[in-house]
Amino acid sequence: MVTATTKGLSRAHEIYADRGKRVRELRKAGKKIIGYICLYPPIEIITAMGMVPFRIFGDMSEPITVADKVSTTVVCPFLRSIIDLGIKGKFDFLDGAVGAHTCDIGMTTIIAWRDYIKDAPFTHLIDVPHTDHAPAVDYFEGQINFFKQHIEELAGEKLSGDKLKKACELHNKQRKLVRDLYDLRKSDPPRLNSMENLEVMVSLFSLPVEEGNELLEAVIREVKERSIKPAKKKARLLVWGPVFDNTSLYELVESTGADVVVDDTCVGTRAFWADVKAPYDLHALAQRYLVDIKCPRTYRDTQHQETERSYDKDLDSRFSYIKKAVTDWHVNGVVLQSVKYCDTHGYEVPNLRHYLDTLGIPSIYIEHDYSERSLAPIKTRVEAFVETLG
Amino acid sequence: MSETATPSKTEKKRAINRLKSMYPLRNVVQQDYIDTLKASNEGKPTVWSMLNYWEGDLPLKAMGLNIVYPENYATLLAASGAAEPFLDASDSDGFPTHMCGYGRSTIGYSYRMMKENGGKIPPDAPLGGMAKPALLLGSGIICDARFKWFQSLARYFDAPEWCLEMPMMATYEGSEPDLEAYQVKFLVKELKDFIAFLEKLFKQKMDWAKLEELTDLAVKIHETTYKISELRQSIPGPMHATDFWSSMPPSLFFAGDMKVSLKCYQDMLAEVQERVNNKVSGINYPERYRLIFAELPPWHSLKFFDSLAEMGWNFVFESFGYHAPKPPDLSKYSDPCEKLARLSRNFMFNVFPEAKADNIQNPIVETYLKIARGFKADGFFMHPLISCRAASCSLRTVQHWEQEKLDVPSLWVEGDIIDKRVFNPQEVLARAEAFEQTMDHYRKVRKSRGLDW
Ligand code: SF4
Ligand code: SF4
Repeated sequence: MVTATTKGLSRAHEIYADRGKRVRELRKAGKKIIGYICLYPPIEIITAMGMVPFRIFGDMSEPITVADKVSTTVVCPFLRSIIDLGIKGKFDFLDGAVGAHTCDIGMTTIIAWRDYIKDAPFTHLIDVPHTDHAPAVDYFEGQINFFKQHIEELAGEKLSGDKLKKACELHNKQRKLVRDLYDLRKSDPPRLNSMENLEVMVSLFSLPVEEGNELLEAVIREVKERSIKPAKKKARLLVWGPVFDNTSLYELVESTGADVVVDDTCVGTRAFWADVKAPYDLHALAQRYLVDIKCPRTYRDTQHQETERSYDKDLDSRFSYIKKAVTDWHVNGVVLQSVKYCDTHGYEVPNLRHYLDTLGIPSIYIEHDYSERSLAPIKTRVEAFVETLG
Repeated sequence: MSETATPSKTEKKRAINRLKSMYPLRNVVQQDYIDTLKASNEGKPTVWSMLNYWEGDLPLKAMGLNIVYPENYATLLAASGAAEPFLDASDSDGFPTHMCGYGRSTIGYSYRMMKENGGKIPPDAPLGGMAKPALLLGSGIICDARFKWFQSLARYFDAPEWCLEMPMMATYEGSEPDLEAYQVKFLVKELKDFIAFLEKLFKQKMDWAKLEELTDLAVKIHETTYKISELRQSIPGPMHATDFWSSMPPSLFFAGDMKVSLKCYQDMLAEVQERVNNKVSGINYPERYRLIFAELPPWHSLKFFDSLAEMGWNFVFESFGYHAPKPPDLSKYSDPCEKLARLSRNFMFNVFPEAKADNIQNPIVETYLKIARGFKADGFFMHPLISCRAASCSLRTVQHWEQEKLDVPSLWVEGDIIDKRVFNPQEVLARAEAFEQTMDHYRKVRKSRGLDW
């Protein structure tokens, strides 16, 4: 628990170092802990049922040793890491695991979980449509409804509209606080670095929403009171890409003489930028998750039903939120990072780089295999890139 | 184990006993590329489409539109040894190299066409190439590449795009009681929007009677190909996998005139039936082992199967994702969109009830267990691809459960559909010899467990 006197950042550091600690305590006290993979399971429903949503991450420092019997090596190493940890019993504090068809392998991960990971007896897979077409939003609402019914069975009670509304408000509050925290990185130099920021984000995915909100309030207080050192760096970078749940990449980038001031990743802004809107019902959840989260896994049909298509207009509709971030955080370079074998992000790379070129923002693309070992060779390239921005 | 057709003493024995009825079907596809290009030269639009398990093919055909399938064209690039400059072009335009080989080669094709050749077809494109698209039709079925790759093609063409939807679901949720009706409702809404869009784009009305006629033909084609698949369970296996791969496009995406294709498949059914009656094998060597190929073949090295046939390896079944399941009964539905939705959805969901009954989580595992039992498989040839997640990701679990539940072993050979640099036939042949002992061993184990093969 964060008190007025506890330093928020040191608490975040502790949680980051042992993500399961707090939920284990809560589980002992009778709470159900529901793990979820990626951003698409609507966590408001879990919170509303009095359970704790816990985002399942991999571990970049733990070699993958047993997942090979379940998955081929040519798939997302982040998800392979999750399977590996699961088989090794590292998620023994979970009562359930919820996956979604965020990507091909995201879906098969939860299927494999059922056969090979025995720790979370409750599992559920949510189908996520590929487009943001109106019928797809309705379809997704139906999927969320199946999930709701299934979790009601687990809880032994029905979900009331009031509880769902309250949970949506709590999560929206968290999103607002995260946006406030990110605002504190607009200054030059930023008031907190990207490693500290990531530790806070990872903590939020490891705590009940109320505790996460308290943590955020404490962190914001603490960061606001900091005096800014005038040590400006050469570059202010935005980091883009899929899940990155480990500070090592940010350490690497910042060690080259740059500040990472903002990101578009699913452990950062992508998870917190969109709110659930009133009336906080299942349709509003469907809208928030399928349409408002900006992840390349969804085919955002920016010129739906139009018989003339403009590539430039399409790019602008898809990526103008990045343009806004570039302006608001005074970014002068973008690092696109991805794990190997991530198709949804891989196809996006040349198009996003082209868009950034049109904005006059230099970019670099780096690929790694979600292991700390694979980051070292990238450093020279990042250094050379940052050098050009100086 | 079985009698085989005996070639005359003077002619060199061909390792694979090709079906005569395969050739006209193979020609259908080649002719389709040539006809589509000719039509484009006459000013008719060409649609580029991903495989969509029929929900997109049939409306396009009913409107008389010409379609090419870059996914299929990529196999021709690989098979004719022409893929490399196209892969290189994709790399040079910044696409990561680990992505779908089909995607990379046709992204490279588009790059070369639009950025290097002033909008003209690259001169080294086989079969005359693919004309510029008037519509890019992606799909959400089976893999992420199917819509992300087409979204990327907008980089070269200002053609409009559409992404067809299809639910994806695993065993448990795939058997929710209300699921079918609600999924069909979703698909029907999407199809209606899609058809309205086609009408607007091509300024012509949908011919609904034609759509119904083609859907009926589709069902007949699939009933026929399904019967062929069933007959292939015979011993010896009457049709080799390579014949299937050469003849599948008219049933997988209805290339060419569907009436002609139906007749060709009926001829194939008759020929396979005759082989079954006379115990004629799909290879010209005694069938020593019955193999299943999972999942997508090395298009660049199909000759390699000759060497395995000479060893008595008969590939009796293959690539479940290319096979249409037994079609559903559509006679009770009157809305053509609903018929289409149900036909297409059936591909994704036909195996769920059985998977659930078998307590199997992954429907692909269930499918391959059924196949191994039905075809009395001695072994699996697992071919995980460096560039395709969808067709590779479940192979380890398939391997595990085949071994665990049926004592059917697998030979694990990493390779690729397009990139031949990652495939070493000599090494695989050496491993294949050793694998025969494994298959012999598990034959005994299965017998001792009371399994009948
Ligand atoms: S990194 Fe890519 S492949 Fe991996 S889970 Fe995320 S979206 Fe899926
Ligand atoms: S299934 Fe694999 S080979 Fe086929 S289009 Fe998708 S990624 Fe490519």
